[in-house]
Amino acid sequence: MAAAHAETQHHTTTGIDNRKLLMWIFLASECLFFGSLISTYLIFRGDSIVGPLPADLLDIPLTSTSTFVLLMSSLTMVLAVFGAQHNRLGLMKGMLLATIVLGLVFLGFQVYEFRHFAHLGLNLGTNQFGASFYLLTGIHGTHVGVGVLYLASLLVASARRNGLGKEAALHVDIAGLYWHFVDIVWIVIFTLIYLIP
Amino acid sequence: MVGHEMQHGGEEHPPSTIRQYVMTGVILTVITVVELFLSYSSLPHGLMVSLLIGLSAVKFVIVVAIFMHLRFENGLLTRLFMFGLVLAACILLALVSLFWNDGTDAVGGIPAGQEQSAPKH
Amino acid sequence: MATAVGTVGHTHEESTVWKWLTTVDHKKIGVLYLVTGFAFFLIGGIEAVLIRTQLAVPNGTVLDAGLYNQLFTMHALTMIFLAIMPMGAAFFNYFIPLHIGARDVAFPRLNALSYWVLLSGGLILTSSFLFGEAPDGGWFAYAPLTDETFSPNKGLDFYTVGLVVAGLASLMSSLNFAVTIINMRAPGMTMMRLPVYMWMTFVVAFLLILSLPVITVALLQLYFDRNFGTHFFTPGTGGDPILWQHLFWVFGHPEVYVLILPSMGIVSEVLPVMSRKPLFGYTAIVMAGAAIGVLGFGVWSHHMYTTGLGTVPQYVFSASTMAIGVPTGVKVFNWLGTMYGGNIRMTTATYYSIGFIALFTIGGISGVMHASPPVDGQHQDSYFIVAHIHYVLFGGAIMGIFSGLFYWFPKMTGRLLDETWGKIGFWFLFVGMNLTFFPMHFLGLAGMPRRIYTYDADLGWDTWNFVATIGVYILVVGILLFMLNVFMTLRKPATAGDDPWGGATLEWATSSPPPEHNFDVVPVVRDRDPLWYNRDHNIPMPERPAHLHIHMPPPSYFPLVLGIGILLIGVGALSSLAITALGVVVAYYAVWGWALEPTE
Repeated sequence: MAAAHAETQHHTTTGIDNRKLLMWIFLASECLFFGSLISTYLIFRGDSIVGPLPADLLDIPLTSTSTFVLLMSSLTMVLAVFGAQHNRLGLMKGMLLATIVLGLVFLGFQVYEFRHFAHLGLNLGTNQFGASFYLLTGIHGTHVGVGVLYLASLLVASARRNGLGKEAALHVDIAGLYWHFVDIVWIVIFTLIYLIP
Repeated sequence: MVGHEMQHGGEEHPPSTIRQYVMTGVILTVITVVELFLSYSSLPHGLMVSLLIGLSAVKFVIVVAIFMHLRFENGLLTRLFMFGLVLAACILLALVSLFWNDGTDAVGGIPAGQEQSAPKH
Repeated sequence: MATAVGTVGHTHEESTVWKWLTTVDHKKIGVLYLVTGFAFFLIGGIEAVLIRTQLAVPNGTVLDAGLYNQLFTMHALTMIFLAIMPMGAAFFNYFIPLHIGARDVAFPRLNALSYWVLLSGGLILTSSFLFGEAPDGGWFAYAPLTDETFSPNKGLDFYTVGLVVAGLASLMSSLNFAVTIINMRAPGMTMMRLPVYMWMTFVVAFLLILSLPVITVALLQLYFDRNFGTHFFTPGTGGDPILWQHLFWVFGHPEVYVLILPSMGIVSEVLPVMSRKPLFGYTAIVMAGAAIGVLGFGVWSHHMYTTGLGTVPQYVFSASTMAIGVPTGVKVFNWLGTMYGGNIRMTTATYYSIGFIALFTIGGISGVMHASPPVDGQHQDSYFIVAHIHYVLFGGAIMGIFSGLFYWFPKMTGRLLDETWGKIGFWFLFVGMNLTFFPMHFLGLAGMPRRIYTYDADLGWDTWNFVATIGVYILVVGILLFMLNVFMTLRKPATAGDDPWGGATLEWATSSPPPEHNFDVVPVVRDRDPLWYNRDHNIPMPERPAHLHIHMPPPSYFPLVLGIGILLIGVGALSSLAITALGVVVAYYAVWGWALEPTE
């Protein structure tokens, strides 16, 4: 009974694929990582002695646009997973490409925002807002960048003769988990930093 | 989230059409627009903050439950992820309240909007 | 002819090295961890001997103040991050698959990578001595000592980069272990049948997974403060030194349980086998371990009472700290109950386990004293605290690790360590440890602050400092006796047999040392003490099949390459961007190779 159980469950005790389990536990760890960064930002709210202050700089319509872009990239990502699961490889590749492009557009917005803020006098060492804002959003941006590399690697690999192999759906699915997590972190950041005045 | 975990049982399946995913995306967009509208509205500060945090929590749950299909997975994954998420939230709240209620903080004092939680000692 | 023999010998040696460099076998990786951890244990020990020699007499002149600061900082960092944690991870690596009845961990290559990254972190941290710029701000590196004004050299950059790299290694291995324990158990091995050692491993893995990100953020912020002009922890533009303390201890307190829980697990394995009766109160000890894991995240501010937390936070953290003493006390009674009425074999492993209970209890009691803020205020930064942490870490963690070494050495090598010399060594360690650290209680209460590099003669601290220094030299003899014991034993033939102790857990059901695939037939588990159950119910060991069709993952050099990439990124963070860029390229190449490498 027990042996047969293990056989049908892909040789894992719980039936969950090892890699998927690893990704979910890693995301739990990432919650603490971003939790600490967000805590730092909130702790230093109102502690800036000199300007520029958030109210002088934050451009909500602009960031709303980039938030929308990242949200849409989650949609394209889930469609890429859908394509992989239903063996619609064209859909999968197209949606992976779309996700990568949307991710790059988001990063473009962020680069523009950073340059714009620096131009207006906010640098890392200017005040507490600058330090905690750049570190938090910069590390989030780094995560988006890693995600873009991750997805691009999958896209390139899927163009090979064997594609992504027999576990293609799983590979895209796990990449998707990472991507969506980066998106939900931005949902929190957008609300706490930009929307709450 | 706990509710989703309770519903796990195999009879539920992730969306089976592209249309359902697109609809989810539309709902997320609508919530974002409402949030944007709220942040420009003249609601009382406390109410607005509660609404904004509530709405982004809803977005958070939708993405996790449907796009990351946690709702349709083994409940163990939900418990593991929730443990990290809840712990992060608790530590965040503890740290922020330790600092915001800290009467010894000479530089910052009490940030705007926190007047109601003045030092208790 | 001679040339031919030499050539053969040469290629043979090279291939052995290559085998170790590319291994993905959890047992080989475990041995690598153990040897590395012990090497760093010796380095940290030398640092300790130097410190005690300086303090032996008033106005010591062995070390100057600057070097003394570097030594006490590096002593703590080396012992905590590079000795105790890797030696704990060594047993995790070696025994998780054997205990749960698996052929390997869930991700063998990730396991190898963890080791190479840990080694990189250790090398980065220790290499700071070569530049004469070792970290000197204490292991918890409080601001503003870490500010560029007070620490202008690169020492604290070695600290931030080294710890981030070592932390990355711990994160990867913890993720691996957690997945392995959840997902790779043998048939019948339910969670409540796991050996207690596996439960402690499981709790440790989650403690690290959930606390390492916090220290990583704090270290990043410190790195930014020192290199990019931010002021997170210095008052320049409104930063707050207390924030560093909070972030550090949100990690740092779970970390102390990371150090002690593995040893608690080892003792929980050794005592039942040596007492020849099942562990007393399995459920209680498992729940206590889990409770320590959860509560461990809610007590960090008891390190910070003297910063002026405010009344309510002091109440809260005082209460939670006292609460966490309860599950710890429960465990002590579990061990005593296990031995009570047992037919105890007084082996060296038993000696060390009993030593662990006695010394850890002393450390635990002096620890829970500090749950009370007024008491803590008296002891803060005094030698009393130094005494406390050494009772917990040396009397606790190290004693447990030695117990495990004596208990599992026959499984890992097929040879039993010499018991007579083992016991003599134990008495040297036990006496030396108490002679070194017990007087520190008196010194602390007499007002001697920690981290002073010398003291005047008329302060009344001379006697006990001298006694403590004598103690450390006795400790050194004990360690040397142990090393000699290992060295002599390895030269003898492997005659220990598969199960020299009559063990209860699955590792004793395979050969010593185990084959690469661990078990010829994956065992079926019917009880918490599976081998004792089989023995008592006359269930024979499964027959070895005539042909083994077991596929083990092939060796891979990509973990090593990726480790080198990460080492380069770390070195680049201390020197130039070009090296970091090179490291990123190497790492990305390794990830591709890793992903495309066939493992079937």
